[in-house]
Amino acid sequence: MSQAEHESAAARGSRLAAPHPVGLGRIFLAFLRLGGTAFGGGTAGWLYREIVLRRRWIDDATFLGLLAMVQIMPGSNGVNLTVLIGRELHGVAGAAAALIGLLTAPFAIVMAIGTVYGGLGEHAVIAQMLDGVAAMVIGLTFATGLGSLARSTTDPAAWLIASATVVAIGVLRWPLLPVVAAMIPVSIALALVRRHRR
Amino acid sequence: MRGGSGDILLALAVVFAPLSLASFGGGNAVLADIACQSITVHHWTSEREFADLFALSRAAPGPGSMLAALIGWKAAGVGGALVATIAFYLPGVFLVYGVARLWRRWRGSAWHAALERGLAPVAAGLLVSGGVVVLRASPGGIPVWTAAIVTTAVLLRWPRLHPLPLLLAGAALFGLAAVL
Repeated sequence: MSQAEHESAAARGSRLAAPHPVGLGRIFLAFLRLGGTAFGGGTAGWLYREIVLRRRWIDDATFLGLLAMVQIMPGSNGVNLTVLIGRELHGVAGAAAALIGLLTAPFAIVMAIGTVYGGLGEHAVIAQMLDGVAAMVIGLTFATGLGSLARSTTDPAAWLIASATVVAIGVLRWPLLPVVAAMIPVSIALALVRRHRR
Repeated sequence: MRGGSGDILLALAVVFAPLSLASFGGGNAVLADIACQSITVHHWTSEREFADLFALSRAAPGPGSMLAALIGWKAAGVGGALVATIAFYLPGVFLVYGVARLWRRWRGSAWHAALERGLAPVAAGLLVSGGVVVLRASPGGIPVWTAAIVTTAVLLRWPRLHPLPLLLAGAALFGLAAVL
């Protein structure tokens, strides 16, 4: 009982930190900066750090809700997540500002590098450096998954579901869609049971 | 190949727009198809050029699929890059935006809250799975695994640390190892 109270108090606390509308200019600039610095892919991890942890524009639970939605839908997860966060912050104009902000810098950068120099793939050292960047970004991705779940729930069942998902998709390489289709009803049922016990 | 003729722009849109809706689990899911379309079917790039563009798209910041922009650029200049980028992202964006709108309409109901609570651990699990899959496919071996795990621990301990210095350290370390 006291744990449940504690949990709902924590949930209320993190809700309070959430949405008051953010100006379009600030949204555009935040995502412009993100687009220009988010090296190595793994855009969700970069978004989490900048929008949830640093700026506190949305809370952990909202972030995971939006993340779940883009993961089960087609398209680029980073781009779609950007649009949904922009929408959360300032409706359709916020979504557009965030999307244009995110894509402007990388678009300009690849055009510039492509124009000056094409043969990047041949250099062993550059390939190695990209491996190093990739390793760090995977670390960022892991930390985002573990950190956002830890901050949004204290429910052991949630960790069980998350671990089962990692084993099925990450380790056993089962296909994404059937696994998600099986996991989501179980997870929701557990969330409902937990709610009723409270 | 240049000249930005309407035919090439149309072909770019026709190739990339459906791929947007077919790419479940992120842009890399359709990488093989992008390669086939741009090398074999439309001859926008040679095999070598495609590998170069892929490396370039990995080196740039932002979401991974600047590859579409680069292929469009190779096929039809900056106009081609814009068309390919928009075609590759916009259908997915419209779809997810529409679903999010419907979803928010029911905010506050009990089942909406349960759904959101139930989706969260699956979302976190998928995120970690994505990292595991990339690690297992990476040719880097134990150094890459070690670096990824150390970075995870550091970022969990200091969540607000900016990842850019870590990234530069990773690039420097691995680059140095290649030289020595």
